[in-house]
Amino acid sequence: MDLFLPYIACLTLVLALFVALRPTSLSLRIFMIVVGVSAAGWLIGLVTGSLSVFGDVSQGLFFFIFSVCAVAASLRMITHDRPVYSALYFVLVVLSTAGLFLLLEAEFMAFALIIVYAGAILITYMFVLMLANQSTDSNELDSRATYDRVPREPAAAVGVGFLLLCLITGTVIGGSSSMPTQGSEQSQWATLEHLPKQFQASVLELDSTFPWPPISSPQGNMIRHEGDESYIVSSEGKTLVLPDELLPRNTQQVGWSLVNEFPVSLELAGVILLMAMFGAAILARRAIEIGEREKQKILLGNETESEEGNSGDQS
Amino acid sequence: MTSSALAGYLIVSGLLLTIGLIGFLVRRNLIVMFLCTELMFQGAAVAFVAIGRYLFDYSGQVMVIFILTVAAAEAALALALVVLLHRQRDTLDADAYGELYE
Repeated sequence: MDLFLPYIACLTLVLALFVALRPTSLSLRIFMIVVGVSAAGWLIGLVTGSLSVFGDVSQGLFFFIFSVCAVAASLRMITHDRPVYSALYFVLVVLSTAGLFLLLEAEFMAFALIIVYAGAILITYMFVLMLANQSTDSNELDSRATYDRVPREPAAAVGVGFLLLCLITGTVIGGSSSMPTQGSEQSQWATLEHLPKQFQASVLELDSTFPWPPISSPQGNMIRHEGDESYIVSSEGKTLVLPDELLPRNTQQVGWSLVNEFPVSLELAGVILLMAMFGAAILARRAIEIGEREKQKILLGNETESEEGNSGDQS
Repeated sequence: MTSSALAGYLIVSGLLLTIGLIGFLVRRNLIVMFLCTELMFQGAAVAFVAIGRYLFDYSGQVMVIFILTVAAAEAALALALVVLLHRQRDTLDADAYGELYE
């Protein structure tokens, strides 16, 4: 595919973002964000070709809506000069991403994302924002801080972003034709064999006369595949075709993959969370100590101030 | 899922990553900078899930669980640091802490 038009779309996006980042009038910034979102939509359209590549036009339409929502919300998030609104726009990004996950049949991750990100992490951010963002001089008409309005080196940042976006676009377009062949749905059945009790219960519910267990194929799999159909064979030669409803659900598949393929990583994730908790607790404790030291300084007066100041610097 | 659909998801993930990077470089508010890193995490998560779906491999979704773990740990530590810095200097401007490297 020709790379000229996608690069033009990338350039339009970053130029619009450059104007929107600068402290100009609100209407111009909104207009530039609309231009940037249109460029992003154009880029997505150029790469995918048509909505029907998603198997279904309605699925393609949902993909387009969710992805444009995500890009628009993220653009507004980094251009908004009030941090609380930035956090709220990030919630919109998370919700759009959860929609994309639903389209990708990752239901568990979609709702885990909403619960953990929008529910827990963003609340922490909002809490700290409310705690730290108290405007001291309320008689000033514009309570927004200067460091929220004036960006730092927008031209350099937009240039770096343009290079990265061009690299990603070129790689995706160039590599999409040579991507490895799609995996088969048959691999999804393999998980069922690792859940023997559920396997047996669901098969017996389907056909209570089926003599358990089924015999394995020469490859060692109980479930055999022929064309689109998956079936099991008993020792008496009885064949039972498994309907798609018997496939393990998304949550089961993810859970099996988690404990089967990444047991050490799971333990390490627990250690990381524990260390983060320790770190946060220790940081908060030190903050209280500094407060107490300053209190002592005030109480004791000027005599010990120099010593206390020195020890404070060292810690 | 066709490879064109996968390319669409990867482009969305690349857009989120790039916008997050630009935001991280441009914004001067410490908390918004950390929010932009979360945006970059989102881009990575979309790529993981899309490729996992394309290959019928559930490891992609497992990676998102680890991304959530890292994001939660990062948010806890970074926000504790930000509160600590804000108590000392009474500002969230990243440039105000420029002399830390000296």
